[in-house]
Amino acid sequence: MKLRYKLSLYNMLTKLLFVAVFLLLMPYFLERVNTLQTDNELINKREQVMDIIAEFGLEGLITGSGNDAYGSYNILKQEYISLEKAEADSLWNFIEIAQRMVDEEVIDYRVLNYSFMVDGEAYLLEIGTSLDNIYKTERNIRTITLVLLGLFVIISFIADTTLSRVLTSPLEFITRKLKETKSPSLFNRTPVKTTTTDFVYLDQTLLELMQKIDGLFTKEKEITANISHELLTPVSVVQSRLENLINNGGLSEQAAEKVSESLRTLHRLKGIINSLLLIARVENRQFIKNDQFSMEKLLREVVEEIEPIATDKGLKIKTHYACDHQLSQANRLLLFTLFFNIINNAVKFSGTEANGPVEVHCFRESNSFQVRISDCGSGMTKEQSDEVFLRFKKQKSSDGHGLGLAIAKSIADFHNVSIHIKTAPSEGTAFLLVFPEDL
Amino acid sequence: MNVLIVEDEKSLASEMAAFLEKEHYLVELAHTGMEASEKIAVNLYDFILLDLGLPDYDGLDLLREAKEINHEAAFIIITARGEVEDKIKGLDLGADDYIAKPFSLLELNSRMAAIARRKFGQRTSHISFGEFILDPLSRKVICQDSEVDLTKKQFDLLHYLLLNKNRALTRIQLYEHIWGNLLGDEYDSNFIDVHIKNLRKKLAEYAPVEWLETVRGVGYRANTE
Repeated sequence: MKLRYKLSLYNMLTKLLFVAVFLLLMPYFLERVNTLQTDNELINKREQVMDIIAEFGLEGLITGSGNDAYGSYNILKQEYISLEKAEADSLWNFIEIAQRMVDEEVIDYRVLNYSFMVDGEAYLLEIGTSLDNIYKTERNIRTITLVLLGLFVIISFIADTTLSRVLTSPLEFITRKLKETKSPSLFNRTPVKTTTTDFVYLDQTLLELMQKIDGLFTKEKEITANISHELLTPVSVVQSRLENLINNGGLSEQAAEKVSESLRTLHRLKGIINSLLLIARVENRQFIKNDQFSMEKLLREVVEEIEPIATDKGLKIKTHYACDHQLSQANRLLLFTLFFNIINNAVKFSGTEANGPVEVHCFRESNSFQVRISDCGSGMTKEQSDEVFLRFKKQKSSDGHGLGLAIAKSIADFHNVSIHIKTAPSEGTAFLLVFPEDL
Repeated sequence: MNVLIVEDEKSLASEMAAFLEKEHYLVELAHTGMEASEKIAVNLYDFILLDLGLPDYDGLDLLREAKEINHEAAFIIITARGEVEDKIKGLDLGADDYIAKPFSLLELNSRMAAIARRKFGQRTSHISFGEFILDPLSRKVICQDSEVDLTKKQFDLLHYLLLNKNRALTRIQLYEHIWGNLLGDEYDSNFIDVHIKNLRKKLAEYAPVEWLETVRGVGYRANTE
């Protein structure tokens, strides 16, 4: 899950938890507060009643009505008051919830019971407030709170998501940069634009790492180049000497054969050195890519080079140029080498047991130019095809040095051409080369 | 013709000298840039074979300098560096050709012959052999007034064999001459055999080709003796 989704999800969950706790506790607190307030009001009212009794005596209330008790409800039955004689032995002073029947209607009241003595007589005062109102207010408050909290959760979720997207956008930028990086030297050096120092630090650390790796790569490649270079001069000396030996004549046939064999061995050594040098140079991007040429023409030339060999083996090279592609940002000599090596390889491994031609097919698919080179040779296992581009991995017996496809791969990488292999034992091999649009 | 070999690897220089002397060139050697610089200032050369990797001198500087004093000379750059820029720079500075180490002496010979033909207007260009005549300028092979239709590769192969006639050429020497500009290819002895076979077939339609010999264990020879 993406960090920004995680962040907003986490935020939302904590908020929901908070809201849930709030909603659970709210009724309890609300009730407490309400009860407290009601009780205070009841006590205040009792004081008022007691003040009236102290000033005017009980007569006005009880005697006037001709009864021993007095009671009064207001019209809406929200409050009532009652005063009656009580047993002298019990002194009451408490507040409770009680139900009272008023006009055949049972209503919950908060009732204050208070007993007092006047002229040796005990009286009980009851003051009640209907709880109905309180319940209503409580419900209203609860509904409003619920709506407000819901809105709060939704709005804050949207805000969180937006904010975390903005906050984590540098991370996505850095990830994209990393993904686009084909080699350390090509690491995009545009610094990340953010005020978040963590991301700036990450970006800088990555850049430093890339530079370090690039430095090591360059060093390794330089060593390869230097070693190869130092090897070429001695090879040159030996080659010239052997050539002079043959040229000067006077050698027995046997000696000439031996010298010729040595020249062949030397040539192999030279081929390996030159191939390693070539790979190092291609990987070091020492070649200029600004040739303009037609792919079809190039392929025709390569095929023309190899055709005599194929014909001699009784093998056909079938070509199908469904479309052409004009390159302008490529190195012709390198691409020539790339196709020469792959097509030559296909011819080489077609063998005499091959039951079909080598096919060179160029076409356009999903908007990219592609070339497929297939043979009907013995094919390869998965393990073999995985290793096909590794240096010095030879297929079967061959007099090559096992660098041809490694070279092809480095040239393809240099041009951002991707190579896909489709093969299976006894099903032949197909190399598919997909060209980028901007080549 | 006078040749100056500027090469710090003494044994290579002496092998080159030995070969070129057999080809009737007058050869002088210089093992350092200073030595070369002095020689160029005093003598006139037709060919200057210049190794770019000199210990005391930047080869390209020496080329620039030599070009000013001895601008008639043909320059062939020899280098083991093989950097593409070196080649371009060298040719920009007026070098006539470029050859990468390790090279075949026969290849050097053929390059020098090509330059001589181009630059010094040597008109000994027609090479006759058996009943055939090869004209390197028009790139044609004629047999009794009719032209033999050869591919570019077949012509180059024949030309190279004739340029080094009566010499056994190894398959690799032939291969390198024809495909030498290919980068990082894998040598396949078949290549030459197939082309020679086809060449023989074509020539045989016009006249016998016994002179194009196979030298056992070595390669091929154009025997015109």
